[in-house]
Amino acid sequence: MRTLSYVFLALSALFLAVPAYAQGGATGSTTNWVAITSGFAMAIASGLCGLGQAKATAASAEALGRNPAARPGIQLALILGLALIESLALYTLVIIFAKVK
Amino acid sequence: MEQLPFTALLNKYFGWLALALLHALHIRVRHPAAPIRDSVAMEILVAIFLLLFFILVRSRLSVESPGGLQHVVEGLHGFIQNQSEEIIGHHSERFTPFLTTLFVFILLSNLLGVVPGFESPTATPAVPLGCAILAFVYYNLQGFKAKGAHYVADFLGPVWWLSWLMLPIELISHMARMLSLTIRLFANMFAGDMVTLVFFSLVPLGIPVIFLGLHIGVSLLQAYIFVLLTTVYLSGAVAAAH
Repeated sequence: MRTLSYVFLALSALFLAVPAYAQGGATGSTTNWVAITSGFAMAIASGLCGLGQAKATAASAEALGRNPAARPGIQLALILGLALIESLALYTLVIIFAKVK
Repeated sequence: MEQLPFTALLNKYFGWLALALLHALHIRVRHPAAPIRDSVAMEILVAIFLLLFFILVRSRLSVESPGGLQHVVEGLHGFIQNQSEEIIGHHSERFTPFLTTLFVFILLSNLLGVVPGFESPTATPAVPLGCAILAFVYYNLQGFKAKGAHYVADFLGPVWWLSWLMLPIELISHMARMLSLTIRLFANMFAGDMVTLVFFSLVPLGIPVIFLGLHIGVSLLQAYIFVLLTTVYLSGAVAAAH
């Protein structure tokens, strides 16, 4: 029963492809693929960088809890690490703005 | 041609000078009526403001009764100096003037965009590139000054039989430092402007203020990060060989 419901779920997801048939008569593809892919690219980049920054923040918070006297060093490492990870997401944004007309 | 009020003022009085300079360097001018662009005009404004600020501070320095302004500037100077001492080690005071000026310039450039009628010069790719090239040239020069010709040995790696591999990797990584400094600063400022504009187009009242506040926070942080990274690169360049 469970497998059957999964099968139906997958089949209904395939219905998402139906709008592709609508393009048959058009002069050319009018879908703006650059906009769609740039949305996905930015979402993936931001999501992964969010995970990376969460790991960095969690590690530094734990280190601060274990050794509050080392606050300057831990703070420095945290800020530096966060900025470097942030810039990775920003590279994606810059490519989008360089390529989207 | 759409330009800011201050840019229009500069173009009116100094446009002929800029045009003559550009023609002497054989650079094609896109809009001869406005040869000075918005970003250049804003940079000039920041430079004039900083010059006046430093002159004001210098004129009010006093050992017996320091005023509020002196406290603020001493705090800034001490902050940069403590940080460079922590990262670079001994004899780091000679880098403090450069790092402080870089910090104040980038900070003021970032914050200038929040004021209506002005725009951040750092929101165009050219200005952060200029700051990054300056930082790159500075730390390499300091490396040569501290170690002489032996500074090149830094690029060759720890062992001599890997130097054929280490040299291209090190060169590319140093070039990538310039790229990352530029893009980090430019993209943060540009994205802050974009996000404020997007939310302004959605909800014109109230909500964009939150993003403008975030942009101010990011401006401070990015100026600090630029100087922090320059300090780290400096420490890598002038560190005494062990």
